Amino acid sequence: VPEPRVLPLDDLVVLEIGYGVAAPVCCRNLAEFGADVVKVESARRPDSLRTLGGGWMPPNTPWAIKRDAGIALGFTCPEKRSIGLEIEGDAGASAFRRLVARADVLVMNMSVDAVEELGLGYQELRALNPRLVHMNMAAFGSDGPYRSFRTWGGNLSALSGITELVGWPDRDPVGIPISFSDYIAALWGTVAVVAAIMRRDATGQGCEIGMAQYQAAIACIGPTVTQVALGGDVPHATGARRAGRAPHGIYPSRGDDRWVAITVLDDAMWEGMCRVRGLESLAADPRFSSLAGRLAREDALDEAVGAWTRARTEWEAADELQREGVAAAPVTSHWDVLKDPHLAAREFFRVLPSQRFRSDLTYGQAVVLSATPARFTRAAPSFGQHTRDVLSDVGYTDTEIDALVADGVAHVVQEPELGLERPFLSWIPHVMPLDWPPSRVDAAQIVFDELAARFNAPTGGHGA
Amino acid sequence: MTGMLDGLRVLDLAGELLTYAGRMFADLGADVILVEPRGGSPARRVPPVVPGRGGGVSAHFAFMAAGKRSIEVDCGQPRGRDVFDRLVGLSDVALVHDDVDRHRGEGIDFASLQALNDRLVVACVSAFGASGPRRHWHGSDLVAWAASSSALQMGDADRPPIAPGGNLADTAGALNAAMGTMLALRARRRTGRGQEVDVSQQEAVMSVAMEAGPIHSLEGAVQKRTGPRRTGAWGLFPVKDGMVEIVPALAPQWDALAAWMAEALGVEEIASETFRGSTLDRMPYDELIQAWTMDLCSRYTKQEFFLEAQRRHIPCGPVNNAADLLEDPQLDAVGAWVDVQHPDVGSVRLPRGPVRFDGEATTVGAVPGVGEHTDDVLRSVLGMGDDEIEALRTWGAVGSG
Repeated sequence: VPEPRVLPLDDLVVLEIGYGVAAPVCCRNLAEFGADVVKVESARRPDSLRTLGGGWMPPNTPWAIKRDAGIALGFTCPEKRSIGLEIEGDAGASAFRRLVARADVLVMNMSVDAVEELGLGYQELRALNPRLVHMNMAAFGSDGPYRSFRTWGGNLSALSGITELVGWPDRDPVGIPISFSDYIAALWGTVAVVAAIMRRDATGQGCEIGMAQYQAAIACIGPTVTQVALGGDVPHATGARRAGRAPHGIYPSRGDDRWVAITVLDDAMWEGMCRVRGLESLAADPRFSSLAGRLAREDALDEAVGAWTRARTEWEAADELQREGVAAAPVTSHWDVLKDPHLAAREFFRVLPSQRFRSDLTYGQAVVLSATPARFTRAAPSFGQHTRDVLSDVGYTDTEIDALVADGVAHVVQEPELGLERPFLSWIPHVMPLDWPPSRVDAAQIVFDELAARFNAPTGGHGA
Repeated sequence: MTGMLDGLRVLDLAGELLTYAGRMFADLGADVILVEPRGGSPARRVPPVVPGRGGGVSAHFAFMAAGKRSIEVDCGQPRGRDVFDRLVGLSDVALVHDDVDRHRGEGIDFASLQALNDRLVVACVSAFGASGPRRHWHGSDLVAWAASSSALQMGDADRPPIAPGGNLADTAGALNAAMGTMLALRARRRTGRGQEVDVSQQEAVMSVAMEAGPIHSLEGAVQKRTGPRRTGAWGLFPVKDGMVEIVPALAPQWDALAAWMAEALGVEEIASETFRGSTLDRMPYDELIQAWTMDLCSRYTKQEFFLEAQRRHIPCGPVNNAADLLEDPQLDAVGAWVDVQHPDVGSVRLPRGPVRFDGEATTVGAVPGVGEHTDDVLRSVLGMGDDEIEALRTWGAVGSG
C-alpha cells in the first residue's frame, strides 16, 4: 500500500493580504508545498496583478470578469483559494478575525502605516491567536527615516544598488525589467516563515516576522558592497564582463540578434576552451596563457572568440564549448524556453485546471524535492472563487454568507458559467506538448506564423 | 532570543561557489561548518578581490563565509575521509553547489551522503538541475541570465545583450536551495528521512523574472532592448549627479508628480485633465511628458530629488552605488551593518539579513581563518580528545588550526 503523500506544510492554514509579487509569491511557495493559502482580496484595493495583461479582451469587458484574466496572477497565485472580503467595516473585520483565530500564518506586504490603520498589527492579532506567525514584508521594515516611503520593484532596484550594476561602462545604467527585490524578499520570507513554524512546532509559540525588502535586495549584491567596505573600488556596470574573469561575455552568433554567453571561470575551463575545434589557436597565443594576460588584453581576446562564435549558431557554439567543460549557453528568447526540451523534461511549465479558463499555463518551481515535491493541482483562483467555502469553514451559515454578499462585504465570482480562452490556445498545443484543454478555435497556421516571427524563432538546430 | 535555527548543523561543501544559502543559515543561528581542503578553500580567492597582502582579500568569501566555523581536512586520505564521514553522520544538512557530476567520484553526491546518514538533507544548486538532457552542462551567473531568456531584453538596442553585475542569479539559486532545505527539514519531522533538494539555476532566474517572462510574452509583450527604461514620467532619469528611478504607477502618484512639475517648471497644463488617468492613457504625450520630467530632474541631485519625491508620496529611488549604500541613513538607522572580525584585515563591515523575529535582527558572525575551528569542531561535534586530534594532525589528515 503506498503511503499517503506528505507535503511539508500540509497541516498549515495561511492567510495572505498580498499585492504584486512579494507576499503573493511567498504564499505561492507555501501553497505549492502543501499549505491551504487563503488570499483575502478587496474589490476596492485589488491586487494590481489581477488586471495586468488581458489586452486581448474586448475593451468593454466588465472589471468583474477582467480581474479573473490577468495572466500575471496565474503565476503569483496558483494553488490558493480566494475570498473576496472587505475587512474594513465591522462585519468584514469580524469575519477576518474569525479567519485569523484558526490560521497558522498571516503574510502581508504593506507599509507599516497601512498595517496599523487596518488593525492588522501583531499585538492585536496575537490576542486572537498566540500560535500565529505574522509576517509583514514592508519595503523598509518598521522603522527608520524611510519607513513610510512608497516603493515598487523598480525604484527599490535603484535604491538597493542593483540598477547601477546593469549597463555599459561608457553609458547610463539601463536597469532590469523585473521586480527582482520582490522575488528575493518572497524567497527569504518563505525561509523565515518555515523557520518560525519549526520553532513553533517545538515551543507552541507564534511570532512576528519583520521583513525589509530593501535589505533583502542589498544582500543579493553582498560581495559588491563588501568590496567597498574592504576599501576596494566602487563597482559600476561592466556590460557582460566581470572583474577577474576572462573570457566572460556575450558574443554574436549566426543569425539576427542571436548571441551566446561564454564564461571561463578557472584554468581548467580555459584549457577546455583551447581544445575546442577552431579555437586551438588560443592555446598557441602566449598573450592569453595566463588569466592576467587575458584580462590585460580582453578586447583582443573577445575579438578572437567572437570571430569563432559568428561562424556558428548559438546552440552549436554552446554545445561545442560545453563538451569541453566550458560554462556557456545560448542567449535564449522567450520562444526558445517555451519549446525547450530540457525544461520540458523537467516539467517546468505546467497547465493547471482553472475556473475561468478550464485550464491555464503557469511556471513550476525551481526547486525539486526528491521525496516531497511541490504539488501542481490548480491554477490561480478567480476573484472570490472560494468565498463561500472559506466562510463556511469558520462557521458562517449560507444565510449569513448571502447577507454578507448582498451588503457588499463579501464577494463571489461573477458570471461563473462564462468560460474564457486565451488567444494563444489555438496554436500553443502545437509547440508545447502539455495537457491543454481543447480550443474552440481551430489552430490557425497564419496566427502561428505571425507569432513565431514576432518571437524571433531560431532557424538553426536546437542543442540538447 | 536565540537564533531561530539553533541546534541545526549544516555542512557547507559548496567549494569555490560558496553560496548565500550557507550564510543565511549561519545568520539564523545554525552551526554552519565550512569544510575546507588542506591549504584553504578556492572560495578564498573568488573575485571581487580587493588588493592587499598575500594576493588580496576576496570580498566574495568575506561576505559568504561570515558566521561559519572552518575545519581544514584532507578528504583524500582515509583518516581525513573518516572525519568527514563522521561529520556527515552528525549533520542535518549538506550544501553542495556544483556541477551535478563533479563530486560524484569523491562520494560527495546525494546517494553517497545519504548512505552515511538517511536523515541528511542534501541541497545542490547546479546550472541546469539534476535531471534533463542538459544536466551535465556547466554554468555561471551570466550563463543563468542567458539561458533563462532574461538577458536578451537587457541592455541597449545597438549593442549585445548584457546581464546584471553582482551575483543576482547565484543568489536566486541559493535562496531556492535555502527554501527547499527548510521545506525538506519540515517534511523530515513526519517522514523521519532526509531528501535531495535539486535547484536549477536556469529555472531559479526564470522564477524571479516571471512578470517579464515567456508566459507574459504569449499575450503579446515583445522582447527588446531599449536602453534606460523610460515611458513618460516612468523610469530612469538623469539628475545633476547621477540618475533616479521614478515609478508613478497609481493615479494619485501621477497627480502628485504633475502638481510638482506644474509648480517647479511653471507648466500649469501638465496638471490638466488631458494627462490624467493611467500611464497607458498618457502614451500619446510620451515625448512631451519625458521632456518635462527630464527638465524637473535636471534641477536636483539624486538625494534631493528622492527625498522631495517621497515627501510628495511619489515612489522614487536614487540610483545608488555600493558606496552610497554604506552612507544611507535608513540602513544606518535600522542597524543594517555589522562589523565582524576578519582573519586578514582585522575587521570588515557586512550587511545583515533582512529579517527580524519578534523585533530582533539576525546576527552576523566572524569570517573564519583557514581551519580556525578544526580542533573546536573535532572536540564539540565528534567528541575527540587532545591525543586523537594530535594524531590526526601528525598524519596530515587535518590542518594545523
